[in-house]
Amino acid sequence: MLKVTDLQAGYGGSVVLHSLSLQVGEGESVVVLGPNGHGKTTLLRAISGLIRPTSGVVEFDGQVISNQRASDVVAAGLIHIPQGDLPFPELTVMENLLMGAYRPEAWRERKRKLEQVFELFPVLAERPNQLARSLSGGERRMLALGRGLMSKAKLLMIDEPSLGLAPFLIEDVYQTIRNIRKTGLSILLVDENADHIEGLADRVYLLESGTLVKEGSVEVMLQDEALLAAYLG
Amino acid sequence: MEKLFQAIYGGILYGSIYGLMAIGLTLVWGALRMLNLAHGSLYVVGGYVAWTALNEWALPALPSFALGVIAAALVGLLIQVLLINRLLGRPSFFNAAMIATVGAAIVIESAMLLIYGPRVKQMAPVIPGHFKTLGVVIQYQGLVIIVAAAISLVLLSLFLRKSRYGLAIQAVSQQMDAARLMGIPTVLTFTIVMAISAGLAGLAGVLLSSVFYLAPTAGFNPMVKALVVTIFGGLGSVKGTIWAAYVIGLLEAFLQVYFGAGWALPGLFLFMMIMLIIRPTGLFGMGEVQRL
Amino acid sequence: MIQDTTVTESRFNSISKRLDWAAGPWARTNWVALGIAIVVALALPLVLAGFATGRFILHLMILFFTWGIVTQSWNLILGVGGIFSFAQVALFAIGGLASGVVSQQLGVSPFLSIWLAPIAATIAALVIGLPSLRLRGPYVVLLTLAFAELLRNFATQGPAWIAGGGYGLRYVPKLGFEEMWGTGMGRVAYYYVGLLLFMIATYVIWRIFHSPVGMSFRALRDSETYAISRGVDPFRFKLLLFALSAFFTGLAGGYLVHYNGAQSPAILNFPLTINLLAMVVLGGWGTFWGPILGTALLTVLPEVFRAVDVYRNLAMGLTLALIAVFAPQGLFPLIADGVRKLLQLFRKQQEE
Repeated sequence: MLKVTDLQAGYGGSVVLHSLSLQVGEGESVVVLGPNGHGKTTLLRAISGLIRPTSGVVEFDGQVISNQRASDVVAAGLIHIPQGDLPFPELTVMENLLMGAYRPEAWRERKRKLEQVFELFPVLAERPNQLARSLSGGERRMLALGRGLMSKAKLLMIDEPSLGLAPFLIEDVYQTIRNIRKTGLSILLVDENADHIEGLADRVYLLESGTLVKEGSVEVMLQDEALLAAYLG
Repeated sequence: MEKLFQAIYGGILYGSIYGLMAIGLTLVWGALRMLNLAHGSLYVVGGYVAWTALNEWALPALPSFALGVIAAALVGLLIQVLLINRLLGRPSFFNAAMIATVGAAIVIESAMLLIYGPRVKQMAPVIPGHFKTLGVVIQYQGLVIIVAAAISLVLLSLFLRKSRYGLAIQAVSQQMDAARLMGIPTVLTFTIVMAISAGLAGLAGVLLSSVFYLAPTAGFNPMVKALVVTIFGGLGSVKGTIWAAYVIGLLEAFLQVYFGAGWALPGLFLFMMIMLIIRPTGLFGMGEVQRL
Repeated sequence: MIQDTTVTESRFNSISKRLDWAAGPWARTNWVALGIAIVVALALPLVLAGFATGRFILHLMILFFTWGIVTQSWNLILGVGGIFSFAQVALFAIGGLASGVVSQQLGVSPFLSIWLAPIAATIAALVIGLPSLRLRGPYVVLLTLAFAELLRNFATQGPAWIAGGGYGLRYVPKLGFEEMWGTGMGRVAYYYVGLLLFMIATYVIWRIFHSPVGMSFRALRDSETYAISRGVDPFRFKLLLFALSAFFTGLAGGYLVHYNGAQSPAILNFPLTINLLAMVVLGGWGTFWGPILGTALLTVLPEVFRAVDVYRNLAMGLTLALIAVFAPQGLFPLIADGVRKLLQLFRKQQEE
């Protein structure tokens, strides 16, 4: 479904990603692990169109999307949920979710999508008219995820979902992602450590200094603890 | 006692105009993070086009006003597309945009001067005449202005809060990257915001030109006062701006009535300077006050 | 984050290499060209003083010196500091007011009172600068705009000894050269004084431009966070820039008020500010020679095109907008490039 070949991207004069290739099949859930500063976020941004890759090809659902604008990539069904705290602070939960369905195709089905999202995220269903900035950290993270689901997403790219969250909230977030996976959506998750990815990943890649150095199934990766320790400390 | 009512009426009248002018500025700031210094000249465009439609093409009032508003919106759109959109992404965006809009303002004002000449013009009011109540002289046109402004502001608020495009504008103002990732076309949104802002400025020009005068540089003063309002209400906050508009309008009216016209402007500026020093974010401001 | 600093460092390196080039050739050929320019500048007035048109040219040169100091000072805060202040003309006016009022009302000799001008302007700058320079872009714009408008109001409607009933300062004692030595030589004397002030200001600003802090500020004009991480305190440096800029601007104001013998509040209207901004932008804001070039062009051209006032404004507006968008580095780098290429061509032909 998503095929990245020899991707190279960076900011200004410097190159962050070097000939990076990966694939995510339909219905697959793939995790990319890597330490901070090695290009996890850049990878997602280059795929979703927030930054332009300097070379390489990104194909999604049969189309080449390498140089398209972010809004066109969204239209194709590739949804990027960025790291950090990005719900619209002055809009309500409901309004945030509705914005997730901005594209015309999604907008038409927004009522149905809202029901789906509220089912997956009961926390949001309880307070649809609350301003996003008054939500707790965990609730905001749920909102960001729910917002991503409001579109007609075929593949969801999630950037470090647990970043900055209090420890007792983290498992909730990952459980929610597992639930999302059960709905059949393809997922590409980038994360800093492998603590919570059980039950979440069909395959794992290891990212180091802007390129993917290893690939394997979860079991193989987790068994090689030495490997993980070396890369992720 | 009469003075009090005079001040209140004046305040609401000024507030209506400042609201129309200031909302545009604050919307543009929110979405684009720039100050549009051509705003005053857009006011003038609205006034002059409406005047031409009314007096030279002999169109009735309402279509003339509409033409004025549309013309202003179009000019604003041109400025956005020709100048501002090319500056997007540059690190010097803020300063460059300021210079570009100053240039645009001068071009527009010079063009108006060339076309219409330096003599001041006045437009016939929609409803001529005045009446007196509670010791205050109220022009019918004044009431027209107050009502028209109020309706426009309400419509705008509804648009921003309830419609898909309005919410999208708010989204872009609050978190641009997240908005892009939802498929919201940011450049198009910027252009729409500028057009709306310009249209509102044009509306202010159309409405006010029958109470005050119309001249190529007539928009400068309202623009500067609108800037005061946006700062007071908080750059980027629509709600704050509306409140601030009426507060500042009342402040100015009171200064005028009780201390004389000469004190109104300096009083306002002094007030703004103090505000900027004590509380730059204003009433409901939207961040960006990073202190070094 | 490792990512961020690597990125910004390499961006800085690539920009700084370009700046080195910009400073380079001029640092090398400077002394010869400069020497010639100085000799010409010193000798010129003696030639021109003899005839009426010559004296008019001297008058233009005096204006050039005055506005040249102001535009360079404005460029210092705008181009180096990245601060968009609208207070430049207000500070100029404060300088003129300070010296003019003191010499007029207290009978102090203008040669003494003129030193009050830069001091008054600097104090005013510190008063505005302290609160506003900690804040970001739009707030500085509006605060300085408010200050300028307030001053304009005060200068028009204030007490008689300042506002002169709306006409401004009049009958300010001049430096007296024309009374002593006649119109021709008197103006020459004013010219030399102006030249001296201009050279001092230009030199100081040149030093700041090419100081390490100045250059890093120019490269990172829009990346304050990086400057902070490098240990440079942007606020204090900005305050220093602002104060220096005001110092010279005020001095220019004092100079002009004693040349004209008057200062009208009309200078505080927007057109002059726009004019000066155009000089800075046209020449190239952020470059060193840009404002000088822009001032030269816009001081001379308006005299040539005096008749078509409105078109001049239109052209000025177009210039501002188009340069800001399409050629933000201004005319000077374009001309410098052109000259450099010509020289290269010339040298190649010599070799063949």
